[in-house]
Amino acid sequence: MTTLKPILLAEDNPRDAELTLAAMEEHHIADKVVVCHDGAEVLDYLYCRGPYKTRRHGNPAVVFLDLKMPKVDGIEVLRTIKNDADLHHIPVVMLTSSREERDLAQSYALGANAYVVKPVEFHQFINAVKELGVFWGVINEPPPEGLTSTQ
Amino acid sequence: MPQSLMARAVRWFASWSIEQRVLGGFGLVFAGIVVISIASYRNTAVLIENSRLDTRSHELVQLLGSIGETLDEAERGHRRYLVTGDQAYLKGHKTLLEQMPVFSQYLQGLTEGTPDQEARVASLVELIGQQLAAEAAAISARQTSGYEGVRSIALSGAAKLELEAIHRLIIEMEGAEQKALRARVVQSTGSTRNTIVLLVLGALLQLVLLASVYHLIHHDITERRRVATELRRRGELLQAANKELEAFSYSVSHDLRAPLRHIDGYASLLSKTAGESLNDKARRYLQTISDSAKQMGQLIDDLLIFSRMGRQEMLRTRVNLDQLVKTVIHDLRLDLQGRTISWTIGSLPEVYGDPAMLRQVFTNLLSNALKFTRHRAGAKIEIGATQPTAGETEIFVRDNGAGFDMQYVNKLFGVFQRLHRNDEFEGTGIGLANVRRIIHRHGGRTRAEGAVDRGATFFFTLPTKRVVG
Repeated sequence: MTTLKPILLAEDNPRDAELTLAAMEEHHIADKVVVCHDGAEVLDYLYCRGPYKTRRHGNPAVVFLDLKMPKVDGIEVLRTIKNDADLHHIPVVMLTSSREERDLAQSYALGANAYVVKPVEFHQFINAVKELGVFWGVINEPPPEGLTSTQ
Repeated sequence: MPQSLMARAVRWFASWSIEQRVLGGFGLVFAGIVVISIASYRNTAVLIENSRLDTRSHELVQLLGSIGETLDEAERGHRRYLVTGDQAYLKGHKTLLEQMPVFSQYLQGLTEGTPDQEARVASLVELIGQQLAAEAAAISARQTSGYEGVRSIALSGAAKLELEAIHRLIIEMEGAEQKALRARVVQSTGSTRNTIVLLVLGALLQLVLLASVYHLIHHDITERRRVATELRRRGELLQAANKELEAFSYSVSHDLRAPLRHIDGYASLLSKTAGESLNDKARRYLQTISDSAKQMGQLIDDLLIFSRMGRQEMLRTRVNLDQLVKTVIHDLRLDLQGRTISWTIGSLPEVYGDPAMLRQVFTNLLSNALKFTRHRAGAKIEIGATQPTAGETEIFVRDNGAGFDMQYVNKLFGVFQRLHRNDEFEGTGIGLANVRRIIHRHGGRTRAEGAVDRGATFFFTLPTKRVVG
């Protein structure tokens, strides 16, 4: 059995991050979650630089990406990931409060793998996060390491 | 009196519209140009006529000269014949005799229309006739009685008196022609001067006309340009305002939802972790916190839909309302669980509009009908349409639920307007406002009828033909 890859959660709001972790706790996948607080940190993690210089190499199983974040926003991070030959296989799930059609269209146009609107109701929210975590972090087989774009 | 007349004229002119003034001005200038053209034409006609008369005068003077010479020639030849008896000298007399009718015809032609000269021509012709007769008499006397018989005549000349009278008459005629010529020169000069003045005046009028046309066109173009600029500026302002509004809604949708999620989330976490140790009262408080957060979340969602319905691009396509209503009822199946409702759904027409927006209309109206018939044992909901007229159709949704008091009918379609307390029927007060907004964007109207505890009917019109624009 291979060790599970980490789940990268990009969430600038610490309460949202805590609630998300609380939801994942129930399925014991919370310890696999790495929380980044802005887009710049996500990119630091993915490119193993700054505070993540010493981390074990390898891409996360999935990136949960908030749209509105300080420094570098979600759309910018998504664009960077999908335009990088080494990163663009990483599944990216947009996890956001925005139901705006513009955000939906732009995210899918840039190659987002899924788009989930955070429900206001906690039970729905917890179910959504749980399902997402289990599906992308456990059930879904991530792309093999070292796979690069053929383009 | 004249002053009041003047004032009345001024008032009358002031009552004219711009178009009437322009038309009046153009009419005046045009009339001026026509008058000038006619006057110039007449002046020119006078000039042409004078020049024709001048030519005739010159011809007449020339003709008179040659007639005088011919007469002298005839008289001289005739006297030589009387002396010598040589027939060759009678050539002049014979030529005159032959040419006399031609001369007389010419003279009459050249003096036609001038009675003085015509009278002189008549006496001239008569005198010449007398000269010829006198000469003829002398010739015949010479033939019968020889030179001796005509000796005295030969010395003085047979028609001496007539010839003198003829020469006087010719001089008189020439004088008259010269006088007429001079008069015509004066007339032509005056006429030419008039024509020049009139032409200059005409040119000025035409300049005025051109200048006013230019001014009007220029004014018109400037005005159009100004309006276009103003329209563009307003369009830009509107676009900026719309962008701002969009940014605002975006911010609301994203930022306002997060704290609500946290309230509900932490309340749930609290009840989960401390649930055992809490008493019923504390648990109810926590539940209320959660419910309020959810309600506000619903409110935000409804407001966002309301705002989106106002600014979203609208589709205009054929919409099958029968199918649409089926879909909406299917979507509401969760609300229908455990309910017994008697549905009456009439045949609905095809309309033109935005399917997603119209779906929102039926969703709002039908979920309202379901909500307000909740406490009815025999709940009835009816959907139908009246016969389409003048390119539109009226559709209605009727229920036998809680109804409303007609005195509040004007508040029904307003934003945040509710006619029921929240503990009676939950709701955000945006549903019907949204219905009205969508129907107005389709060019339709909404109205409602109802009575307390006797149900309510909501009517709206929709176009059945494609609306241009």
